[in-house]
Amino acid sequence: MKVYFNFLLLLLSTTSFILLTSCKNDDPEPENIPELITKVTLKFTPAGGGAEMIITATDPDGEGVQDIKVDGPINLIKGTQYTLSLDLINGLYKPGDAGYNITTEVEEEGEEHQFFFRFSDGIFSSPTGTGNIKDNASSTAESINYLDNDVSNIPIGISTSWTSSNTALMDKSFRVLLKHQPGIKSSTSTSLDGESDLDISFVVNVN
Amino acid sequence: MQLSCILKKSVIFTFILSFHTWLAVGQVTCKLSVTGKVLDEFKNPLPGATVFIKEHNVGKVTDRDGIYVFSEVCEGDYALEIKFLGYQTQVVKLNLKKSETIQSILITEDRLLSEVVIADHLDPIGKASNYGALSGKSLEEVRGKSLGESLLSITGVNTIQSGPAVFKPVIHGVHSQRILILNNGVRQEGQQWGAEHAPEIDPFIASNLVVIKDAGAIKYGTDALGGVIIVKPADLPKDQQLGGQLHVVGSSNGRSGVVSGMLEGGIKTHHGWGWRVQGTAKKSGDLHTPDYNLSNTGFNELNYSASAGYHQEGKGFEVYYSHFNTTIGILKGSVVGSTEDLAIALEQEPPQNTHQFTYQINSPRQDVKHDFVKLIGHLRKGESLFNFQYGLQINNRREYDLRRGSLNEVPALGYTLYTHTLDAEWEKTKEKSHIRSLGINGMAQDNNKMDGTQTLPFIPNFNNYSAGLFWIEKFSKTNWDWEIGARYDLRYYKIVGYDFKNKLYRSEFSFHNVSATAAGTLKINSSSTFTSSLGSAWRPPNVAELYSLGTHQSAAAIEFGLLLDEITNEVRSPDEVNFRAEQAIKWVNTYRRQKERLTIEISVYMNYIFNYIYLKPRGVTENTRGIFPYFRYTQTDAFFLGADLSMGYEMTKKLKLNARISLLKAKDETNNDHLTFIPSNRYEVSMRYDASNIQSWTSPFVEVRLKYVAKQNSAPRVVPIRDIILAKEQGIDLFENDSRNFDFVDSPEGYFLASFSAGISKPIKKSKLDFRISVENLTNNAYREYSNRMRYYADEIGRNISIALKYSF
Repeated sequence: MKVYFNFLLLLLSTTSFILLTSCKNDDPEPENIPELITKVTLKFTPAGGGAEMIITATDPDGEGVQDIKVDGPINLIKGTQYTLSLDLINGLYKPGDAGYNITTEVEEEGEEHQFFFRFSDGIFSSPTGTGNIKDNASSTAESINYLDNDVSNIPIGISTSWTSSNTALMDKSFRVLLKHQPGIKSSTSTSLDGESDLDISFVVNVN
Repeated sequence: MQLSCILKKSVIFTFILSFHTWLAVGQVTCKLSVTGKVLDEFKNPLPGATVFIKEHNVGKVTDRDGIYVFSEVCEGDYALEIKFLGYQTQVVKLNLKKSETIQSILITEDRLLSEVVIADHLDPIGKASNYGALSGKSLEEVRGKSLGESLLSITGVNTIQSGPAVFKPVIHGVHSQRILILNNGVRQEGQQWGAEHAPEIDPFIASNLVVIKDAGAIKYGTDALGGVIIVKPADLPKDQQLGGQLHVVGSSNGRSGVVSGMLEGGIKTHHGWGWRVQGTAKKSGDLHTPDYNLSNTGFNELNYSASAGYHQEGKGFEVYYSHFNTTIGILKGSVVGSTEDLAIALEQEPPQNTHQFTYQINSPRQDVKHDFVKLIGHLRKGESLFNFQYGLQINNRREYDLRRGSLNEVPALGYTLYTHTLDAEWEKTKEKSHIRSLGINGMAQDNNKMDGTQTLPFIPNFNNYSAGLFWIEKFSKTNWDWEIGARYDLRYYKIVGYDFKNKLYRSEFSFHNVSATAAGTLKINSSSTFTSSLGSAWRPPNVAELYSLGTHQSAAAIEFGLLLDEITNEVRSPDEVNFRAEQAIKWVNTYRRQKERLTIEISVYMNYIFNYIYLKPRGVTENTRGIFPYFRYTQTDAFFLGADLSMGYEMTKKLKLNARISLLKAKDETNNDHLTFIPSNRYEVSMRYDASNIQSWTSPFVEVRLKYVAKQNSAPRVVPIRDIILAKEQGIDLFENDSRNFDFVDSPEGYFLASFSAGISKPIKKSKLDFRISVENLTNNAYREYSNRMRYYADEIGRNISIALKYSF
């Protein structure tokens, strides 16, 4: 029997040896966080030329407790047609890095993403209504002037067209929602499908 | 079989030794032995039967061959009581003048609650513990289910569920890091912190599932504030006889199948050597409620284990290896990226993305692997028994979420945890029924994140070194059996992780503490006992409770650890933060009575947990994905008060009535508030009819169960998600000045469930076939269970018909 116990002892000492030598003390590798969006820029370009209206929303701390900061309201000139282009940035990367520009990523995976919009009634003459973000399955979605399409000819929404109302309006709202709909996006999918990648509300003034 | 052979074969080894007998009375010869074999009606050996010499209060458990031995017995008159679950108890009168060999044949008698009887002398339970157990027939009834779901058959045990396949056991209202699971004698170590992380154990390895419900499990280290779950395989065989079992279970809901096989034997020329191989495969597709499919709730599981060892009287060793591998789908409709998504998900039924039945499992899903190696040795020298045990566990957890593009196949969360455990114990039998044990436990853990998940790590990398010392005395005085014990533990953490800015932080700190228990069982008379146990236990905060950062799989809430600054959210040094280890005092009182036709067990318990760590809502934050409530791990004092009742009544020899009631009230004492996810009260009645044998078919039975689960009325207040969003949009943070616990929706209504089962056996020569059919949720009720996290999104599963076949030889 001594043999067996020697064997056991041997196994024990071997494993303790492995245990003691296998403890790594190296720092873990830092992770890149490509899915984080820290900055969103809305650029309203007047179709007939003129000054662009640029608004940014910045998240100072990602999963932290601080709220996002928006640099002022969106000021639109009445009766003007605008092209809205959206720009999403991950500030954890440097400009030029692959992970910096999220917009390109969304564009490349257009068949999985779609932007949805909601706005106060009357602030635009086109589109009319309140937009295509639905509260529930029975609420209606109105059409948006999408200027881009994915490979299946379904809109993405990085670029959209808007015409402001002819009357001045103050303190109205404009909400942008980006939905991730892998395997779900179709001609019938809505803002109720998939997971939210981006959801921000802005204040709009039409002067 | 030769007598000497029987003697050799019958050495009963259990890692923590059962009560060995030194019966020195007067001057009479005390060198006699009583050897016996316990068989069923078909002459099959009955392993695991208890044999008890009433006069000396000593017991043995029969080995795989149904054999037991009492050695060094004195001359005299004895009554030998032989008990086994599902069989009539037999008493053998002995007038011992020389060593004797006895053969006993037990007659079937299905008594549902008898698991209590068999557990009476099971190791490693002390004589004075409060426990519940599944073995023999009661275990057969839950074959094919997961460990957590199987344990639901024990009164006082509930589960926290995350969908239909993830069951996390809850003992008397506490769970996760507060209960200890002993897999084959070794602390199970995985990523216990997550309520959606089920124990990585195949219950088919077990011949007994025991739940110790008091804090008296002092031998096993810290964390057992609520109790201990013991998953114990049968002892290895010691002779060359080949034996085995094959289980096949098919179920309608999920169109699932389970196959589990076991083969064991000895080595012809080398007596004492034994081996066993075992494996289980499970496959299930999407489960369904009475009204719709639960898309992406299927699972696959493949587990196997092998063990070999040598056991002889006084010495032995064993090597054990097991592998557990599971892939579990998470309900598609529960995927939410923001509170807005959650609001939509809460309002939809059937859940969004409900598709046709499929076996395919997509993201979100969990892939978990658990490898386990164990070496044990034991040596007896006179009155001393030395036990050594080493365990290595490698736990790999990968969680996949719906992610952008190529990241979809990269886990959002990945950890590998190495755990080494070393236990040594010296047990000394001092005199008749007085045993002293002294021991040490050591543990070294290394937890590393998987590199390349491209997410902020939810918990940091860490090393954890723990050591403990314990002392236990077990003795009997007049009508009392006592067990008292104390232990000291030390834990050291070394942490390295990344904060929300992806900045590296490090920390090193330690905890130490003592705990103690005292328990006594009074033998009131031959049919009733009273057990009272008072114990303290403690637990250092888990790394997740200290450092958690971010959102969980489908939780739509951000969690922050105890060490994260309230304002800046930066990680602080442990010296700067006021936090303490959790400390519990649990008192459990149990009265048992088993007389004639009535069996009754009543248990009343209270558990006061100081510095109870929980997630407290602290505010609402907005990031680019929307509005999120955030929770911080906080400490309070919690009080749990409850009662378990189980009762069996034989209306006639063939007709039995059983009832079980489990009541629980839990409270946050400091804030005078309710706690979340506390199981509600439940009541169960069952009626069983055991018919006579039909020609060569044996033990036919039919059973009907009715269960009522009450609504949880002591749930935290309800704050609808839309209110949180609306208020935040108006610049109001609902939790800033009111951090009472809350839930997004009201607790579900109470519900009734009926189930039915029937079975029959067919002995074929030396082998046996058992058939069983069962129907759960017989009336196909649509209901939701408060302690299932899936209740926000979907109903529980509908009617499920299972057919089980067992072949044993």
